[in-house]
This record gives sequence, structure tokens and C-alpha cells, in this order.
Amino acid sequence: MEKKLTGKTYDIQGFSVQDGPGIRTTVFLKGCPLRCPWCHSPESQAFESQLAWMAMRCIGTQKCEDACVNACKLGAISYGELTTSMVKESEVDENGIGRDRMVETPVQKIHIDRKVCTNCGDCAAVCHPDALYMCGTDYTVEEIVERVSKDKPFYDHSGGGVTVSGGEAMSQPDFTIALLKALKEKDINTALDTTGYCKWELLEKTVPYADLYLYDLKHMDNDLHKRVVGVPNEIILENAKKLAAAGGKLQVRIPVIPQFNDSKENIRKTGEFCCELEKINPGTVTMIQLLPYHNLGVMKWQRIQDDIPIMEAVPPTDEYMQELKTLLEDMGLPVCIH
Amino acid sequence: MYQFSPIAPRVAAMRERYRNTQPELDLNRYKLVTEFYMEHRDITGALKRAYNFKNLCEKMPPHVNDGEIIVGSLTAKYRAAAMFPENSVDWLKEELTSGLLWERETDPYIVPDEVREYVLSTVDFWMQECMSAKMNSYIPEIYRDHLAGNGCCGYGPQGQNAQPVGHFCTGYRKAVDKGFKAIKAEADAKIKELEGTGMVGTTARQYNFYRSISIVCEGMITLAKRYSAHCADLAKKEKDAKRKAELEKLAVTLDWVVENPARDFYEAVQALWFYEMCVMLDANMHGTSMGRVDQYLGKYAEADLASGKLTREEAQEIMDMYYLKVAELNKPWSAGAVLANPGYTNGQLFTLGGVDKDGNDATNVCTYMCLEAAGRLLLHDPPQALRIHRNTPKELWDCAIEVTKRAGGVPSFYSDDVVIDALTRTGRIGKEDAWDYCLIGCVEPSLGGQEWPACGGNGTETYTNIVNGFLMAINNGYNPMPSPDGKPGPQFGPATGYLYEMNSIEEVMKAYEDQIRFWTTWDVNLRNIFESIAPNILPQPVVSATMGGCMEKGMDVMDGGSKYNSTGLSCVGVGNVVDCLAIIDHVCFKTKKYTTRELYDAVMANWEGYEEMLNYINGECPRYGNADPEVDKYATFVMESYAKIGTSFHGPRGPLSVGCYPVTLNVLFGYGTWATPDGRRAHTPLSDGIGAVQGMDKSGPTAALTSMAKVPQNLYGNGILQNMKFHPSAVNSEEGKQKLIDLMNTYFFAMGGMQLQLNIVSVDTLRDAQQNPDKYRDLVVRVAGFSAYFVEVFKDSQDDLIRRTEQGL
Repeated sequence: MEKKLTGKTYDIQGFSVQDGPGIRTTVFLKGCPLRCPWCHSPESQAFESQLAWMAMRCIGTQKCEDACVNACKLGAISYGELTTSMVKESEVDENGIGRDRMVETPVQKIHIDRKVCTNCGDCAAVCHPDALYMCGTDYTVEEIVERVSKDKPFYDHSGGGVTVSGGEAMSQPDFTIALLKALKEKDINTALDTTGYCKWELLEKTVPYADLYLYDLKHMDNDLHKRVVGVPNEIILENAKKLAAAGGKLQVRIPVIPQFNDSKENIRKTGEFCCELEKINPGTVTMIQLLPYHNLGVMKWQRIQDDIPIMEAVPPTDEYMQELKTLLEDMGLPVCIH
Repeated sequence: MYQFSPIAPRVAAMRERYRNTQPELDLNRYKLVTEFYMEHRDITGALKRAYNFKNLCEKMPPHVNDGEIIVGSLTAKYRAAAMFPENSVDWLKEELTSGLLWERETDPYIVPDEVREYVLSTVDFWMQECMSAKMNSYIPEIYRDHLAGNGCCGYGPQGQNAQPVGHFCTGYRKAVDKGFKAIKAEADAKIKELEGTGMVGTTARQYNFYRSISIVCEGMITLAKRYSAHCADLAKKEKDAKRKAELEKLAVTLDWVVENPARDFYEAVQALWFYEMCVMLDANMHGTSMGRVDQYLGKYAEADLASGKLTREEAQEIMDMYYLKVAELNKPWSAGAVLANPGYTNGQLFTLGGVDKDGNDATNVCTYMCLEAAGRLLLHDPPQALRIHRNTPKELWDCAIEVTKRAGGVPSFYSDDVVIDALTRTGRIGKEDAWDYCLIGCVEPSLGGQEWPACGGNGTETYTNIVNGFLMAINNGYNPMPSPDGKPGPQFGPATGYLYEMNSIEEVMKAYEDQIRFWTTWDVNLRNIFESIAPNILPQPVVSATMGGCMEKGMDVMDGGSKYNSTGLSCVGVGNVVDCLAIIDHVCFKTKKYTTRELYDAVMANWEGYEEMLNYINGECPRYGNADPEVDKYATFVMESYAKIGTSFHGPRGPLSVGCYPVTLNVLFGYGTWATPDGRRAHTPLSDGIGAVQGMDKSGPTAALTSMAKVPQNLYGNGILQNMKFHPSAVNSEEGKQKLIDLMNTYFFAMGGMQLQLNIVSVDTLRDAQQNPDKYRDLVVRVAGFSAYFVEVFKDSQDDLIRRTEQGL
């Protein structure tokens, strides 16, 4: 029997309100050829499933009878930090009046030896509170369509739909194209969130099925782009122009990263590029979305403790973001800050 | 973005006074009523209540607070509380003797010595004279001795009327537009007419009713004139010229309104408040909802604004001052009752928005003025309900969302489509009238001015704890909660068998339905017994004077005089029961991970020694609130079942309708509810409204609403409640706000959702979430195309998000 096409996802998020117009569901696919140091979803980068551990969900090994420690055949999990947590206990007095009290309770957390761990998922399977969980689940197109279709009334009333995102969704091209096609067959509005870093021949196939592209432009300088992100920007810029020519609608996203691409010069150049796209095909750029850097990715990085390092920086000020917005608006472009 | 108008300095000062005044017990009403009742043991029924009220109107000291421009008070001191011994006094006697009334943590009262002494010296008279004592003597022995304390049916063995009668909206429009001289004339004409008939059959009762109406109308006019004279006196003594002019205007206004129709906005507001105050003065009311205040007042405000008689600022100040009068009202409740209704609340719900009789948008300038009063003054009372229809203007939505951002949960939103369907489908309200519905009490739909809905039923609110019903269903009619003495309780309910004897989920469902039918029957029994005695003891002539139908039928509202009648039931704990069924089905019958015996034993042991099972159930099982049809089908079952059972009964005045709203009873009931198969430990809160078990709706708001929509909400004519929490980041942009509006519109008009209450959480809540992450596990924060659970982000990032919230970013 032929194996069914599956895609590796690390999240499916309902009421996604910043990934395109209206109320949307975003399907996040795993794996990315880029290595942006600021990436706020570091678990999206690797193509394989990864074990994540969220400390605050861990109820302590006392309460689960060492479930994960025992489940790991390789001995990669041992006792880690011993913390305490205030646990609410409710009781009723002799008059039937209920009250709560906070009781300090010891919580034995765990330590994962990442050198030994093979991401097999045995420990995650027994961790009922989902403190240990696998980033990366295989779904078929049908499974995802069934799941996201539940929100169709919300899409229809808000002009929303489904956004396929990553990682880089086009790194799983067959699945992404099939998913977009299946969504359109269900009359669901689609958006593809992409770095633009993929073969045009593949991206071209999405044109009939993607109502909108959320298209990242990280830097206009090719050398810098290559040095910091790990890949050149030529293909990205080229694909953007080809999409414009092919009638694609682009919501351009600029992550504003301190000391990388936040100079007014770079933003202006990005704006000029957008104007160029408009010349190719007026109405191509529906919006420029400025995304100020934030450091919440660090927290996600700690959960997977990936080898790939993550940067930490001070987020740009609201005033500066406004200046960048005005700069682009003065070029006649529609801009929003998220 | 909707811009609020500034708060006038005088309004701000009054608000400060409101915030800084601890309520005190005021003796005036108690004393006058006690003297009247002691002196007039011969008079009974409607005439007793009418003459008692008139006596109050003649003798209550008029009280005008400094700076007030809307006047009328139940007490002789600012923000004090009147007492109502006619309802219930055993708790008052107990708390005045023990000192609990001023020592308790929630809503304590200042009690002057002379008040305590007078009450304690007379309270024994009321111990037998009050409504509650009379109801006690009618509670059937079989219930009192064998069934009380069952935990499912809300009636106890005694003290049923400690909480007051209420939960209705009377004919405020008539009071403002017509005045009581005209209403008295109607009653007097009826009296004349009946005197010529020989009083055959029930006519004598009608005759007495009309006499009671005539007497209370006269009383209200007298009280207004006394206030007028008092204001004239104060004006004479006043040095400040501006204040002097205001007092003179008040004297003129009160000499006119109440007696006569209001002629402008200021008179209309004064007339509205004065009648509201009289309704409260007559009887111990709670949830005496005000109905469509914007519709009563809109035409007056618009005329004054158009003619230039008032500026928008002046009109807003009058409205603000009115809100502060409503907020000032409070009354003492027992220590137990305040836990369910904390915050010195009086629950005088206002309804705004909606449509007119032709189905057109009814928004007017007062709709905005009311919302602004709520959003700027941030008062505990009055709560606000906003009727949403398909053409609700964008500006009104915008204003409402801005109010919600400032005042959590205010307004609550209602779908006209679903409420009107729920009111009319059973014939409870005529299709030609339903457009004019309002909300009363908490969330209960009713027809203002034409319906006596008695959602409080017997004067106390009884709620059915269906979670305890479920526990009795799987425990052969025994409630597993030990008695206060530690011994196992008796077999209260029908012998429906034990969980470990059941072989399919259908058997569990049948056992549950049998218990609910048994306990709902008792709930209705007791309500209807109450309704058979109460009309003779506590008729409501002040309410009946304006309620549509009473004048025509010659009947008090308590007898069924109003045009429409119903009685409301309500259940608590839906989410828990749904999850119990889904989890039993999943773990015992589908996956067979645990046997029914194992699960039963774990529940009876309050999960002690069953931690692995508890973790599994709380972590791995399908849950209500996540758009999972395999679970949500039980929501349909549980709510259809309760609706079917509840509406199969009839009250003496009209049909029964069902609701699902807990106030804060889900917490109180939770203390008294043993562990449940859904992984809930004993004594912890039950689920809220029709919502999921706390923290178990992990798939976002669209999934939660999809699940809630599986509840047949249009069968819930007595209202439902659904709270949703949002992080402020969800509404910090115009785009975010629009998506929230789209979310609600979809729920209301495409999915059958009746009601939603949004909590855009405050900075204080976010701080609490940092300390108590378990309580806020479902709170999502959205920032820069990124979303995460608030409690799961770093402390530093949390602090940053709090800072941004404080700055309104």
C-alpha cells in the first residue's frame, strides 16, 4: 500500500490573529533551511521531531512516580533541581464553610542529558501533564483539513482562513502544495507564510492555491543576509518578483532586529523593493508588517536546548518602530506594526 | 478608537466618596416597619403591604447628600443600608449577637450600638412574623427530615427567604412617561366600577388589589412632595448660589415628577430613580433589574440636546450621578450569602442596545452615555448588558470593547437572535413583544414591564448542583460527601446503582437523568409550595402598579397579574458533568484503560493513592471546550436533558424556564462537592456557566466557542453564562478589536451563541497569574506574530507584558 503523504508539524494554532487577515488557524510545519539567530520558534528549525521539556508544567517526580525517569531506556533523564511550589489545598470546616490554604510542596524536577537523548519520545508518552512533549507530529492532509475546518464559520465571518507557516513550509513542498490545494477545495481562504527561500518551480505551484503570501524580507544586503541567516537573499528577492508577476498577493513581513536590519537605510531599501514589486504588478503588496524583535524565543529555545545558539537583544522602542512605520508610509506603502 | 468624555469634578468627588464609605446599618426603615407591624396585626395581605409602604413614605426622613442632583434614599446616611425584617431575621439575629456582621471579611457593616440594641430587642417578633419562618413551616416533613442536605437540590431545611424576592423588571417606562397620578386614577376608576358590581367571585380580591395600588401611588407622590419640601428648605439655608439654584430646581422637579409625566431628560432620570428607590423601599429586593434604560431615557435626552436645553456634558453628568445613586444602594446579607454575591452588590442590571419594534437598531445617545458611565466610573453596580443584533453599529461595538478593556466583563453581550428565539419558542413571550426583552438579575432574559419571571423562584435563588446529581447517579443515590460529623450521609436519591455495576455509557447517562429528574421535581415542588403561600404574605403593590397586565387583571404580580409569567430554574456544573461522562466513556468503555471499579474507587478515595490515574485523566483524556465532537455530544445531552426535565413542569402562574449561570456559586458548591471522575479533587471549584472545566479548554477561543455552541442555548430561556478571558494584547490594535468582534458575531449569528462575557484581564490579574499560574493556564498572550500562554513565559517577559498593559500599549 502506498504510504500516505504526511507533513511534520509542531503546532496548529486557532484564533491566530496576526498571521494574515481575519480570524485564522496557523499550521506550523517543522524544518527550515535558514538559521536566524533571533528565531522565536527555535523548535521549528530542525526537520526531525525533538523532545521539549517545559519546566513549569512539570509536577515533580514525586507526583508521577518517576514516570519519565523509568521510561527512558537510555538513562538520559535524572533528577534535576529540587524546587518548591505553592499548592492550593481546599478544605471544609465543621460548619461546612470552605476555605483554601496554600501549602508549600517540594517539586523534584528533572534533568535531560541531551548528549544521550535520541528524541525517541518514550518519556513524552508517559508524561501526562505534557511537561515533556515532542515537537513534531506527522499529520496527513486530510487530518489537518478536518481539524482546521471546524473553524470555518469564524473564517467566513471575519474574512479569515488558514495560514500555512513554518519553519519553512516550502521545505515540505509536496505536503504544503497538497494542503493548500485541499483547503481551497473546501473553499477556505489560504495564506502561505514563507521565507521565500525555495525553488521557484515549487513556489510557482502554490500560486493557484495561495490567496496571500506572508513574505519575509529580512535584509536587502546579500552579504549580511548570508552571514547572519546562513543563506543569500537573491533567490528570495527573485521569487518575490516572480510571485508579483504571477499575480501573487504579498503581505511583506520585516522582523525588526536590533543591530541587524533595523537601520533606516535598510528599511528604506526594503520599502524601495516593495515599490518595485508594485511596479511589476500594482496591488501586489497588500501590507508591510513590521514585527519588532522580542526575546520570547529564548524561553522556547530552553525547552529544546538545541545546539543552535539563539541571540538575545533589547527590543526596539515603540517610538523607533513608529519612525520606521512613518518612513515606509511616506513611500506610499501600507504599514502596520504587530 | 472610541473616546470617552472626561469625568466632571463633582462626579469624581462623589465617586471617591462612594469608594471610601463603608456601609452602615440604618435603623429608619426597620423601626418604622416594626412599629407598623406590631400595631397593625389585624391587617393582612395586600392592604397590609400597601399601608406599610404608605407609612414609610409619610415618615422616612428625606435625605439629600451633598452635591447630589439626583435624590432619593432608603437611609438617612450616605451608602447606608436599610433592613427588611419581613423576609428573614434569624441570620440577622445570629450575626448581631455574635458580631459576625461587622467582623466578617466579606462585606462587613458598621453597626451603631443603638441599631444593634433596637434590632435585638424586637427581632423575636419577626422570628415568627417573617416570610422565611412561614415558608419553613410549609416545607414538607419528608423533605425536611430525609432529603435536605442532598447537595443537588438547593433547598435547605429552613431559612429559604433570607435572600429577597427579586429578579424582574417592572414598568419603569410607565412610571416616567405617565406618572403616578394617572396610575392612581386608573386604579380609582376600577375601584368605583367594582363597587357597583356586588363583588361577586374573585372580584373582592381584585377590589383589594386596586385599593393597594391606589394607596401606594398616593404614598409615592407624598414621598416625592416631602423631598421637594426638604430640598426647598435646604435651598433656603444654602449659601452657595449655584448649589442653591440646584436645590431649588430639585424642589420644583420633585414637586412635579413621580406625580406627573416627565417633561425633560433631567425629570425623566429623577422620576426613574425615585420609582426604583420606592420599589426597593417597599420590599427586600435583589436583582430588581432596570431594563432598557437607554430606551426609556433616549427620547428625552435627544430632545434636550436638539433644543440646546442640555449639552452632552451636562447630560452625561446627570447620567453619571444617576449611576452613582444606583451604586450607593446596598443591603446586608448573611455571611453565607455574601460569599455568593460579594461586593455590597444589588444586581440592578441595565440593558442597552438592541432593536426597536420594527427590528431597526435602537441605539441612541443614552446607550453611549450609559456605557460611558460604566466605563469611566468603574462601579460595582449597576452591571450592564448589551444587546447585539446583526446591525449593531460599529461605533457601539467600539465603545463597548473600550468599556470592556477598562471594566472586566462589562458589558456582557447578548445575541438578539438567540434570546428572542429562546423566549418565544415555548410560547412564554409573544412574538409581537419579544423585541423589547431585557436581561434581569445576572443573565436572565425577560420582558421588562410585562413579565413576572421569578428567576429567583421562591425569593431565594435555588440552583441545582448537577455535579452532586451525577455523583448520586454513580453511587446508588448516596452523596459521597461525608456529613459534617464525619459519618457517611444517608441515601438521598433514587437507587440508580453504582458505577462499577454499569456496563455502558448509556447506563450511566440514564442513572444521571433519573437523579436529575428526581431532584428537579423536588426543586419545583418547593418553589410551587412557596408560590402558594407567598402572595398572601408579601404581595408587591409598588411593583404591580406599573407592571403590564396587573391593572387589567386586577391582580398582584405575585398572584400572576402581569401579562407574562414564568419561573426560572438554573443548574451549575455542566462542564464537570460533561467531562465525567466523556472520561468514563473514554477510559472505561472505549479504551478500557481502567475498569469502572478502579475509577469508582479512585473517586471515592478522592484520588488518594491513585495519582497515576489522576495524572492520566487530567493530561490525556479528551475534554469539553476543545471542539471535540466525541466530548461535545455529552454537552448536548446534559443540557438538552436538563431543559427537557425543567420545562416539563409548570408553576402556578406560568411555565418554567431553564438557565445555566452560577454567579460565584460554582466555587461555593465546589467546596461541598466530593471528588468527581473528571479528575477533580473534593472541595475544589465546579466549572463556570456553560464553560469548560477551568484550564481544560486548551485549543483557543474558537474551539471553546464551537464546543459551547453544542449546548442547545435556544432552549435556555432563563439565560446562560459564558466567561472568556483575553490578554490585553488581543485588543491593543484596531485590527485585534475587529477580530474579537468578528469572533462574537460568528458565535452569535452563525452558531447559536446566546451570551458572552469578555474579561480583558487587568494588570492585577496578570500579577495574580504570576503567583498562581494554575488558575490562568488558558490565558494566551499575543505579541509580534507570536503567541504563548502567559503563565509559561519568562518572569521578565511577564513583567514587560504587565508594564505594557499598564501603559495601555
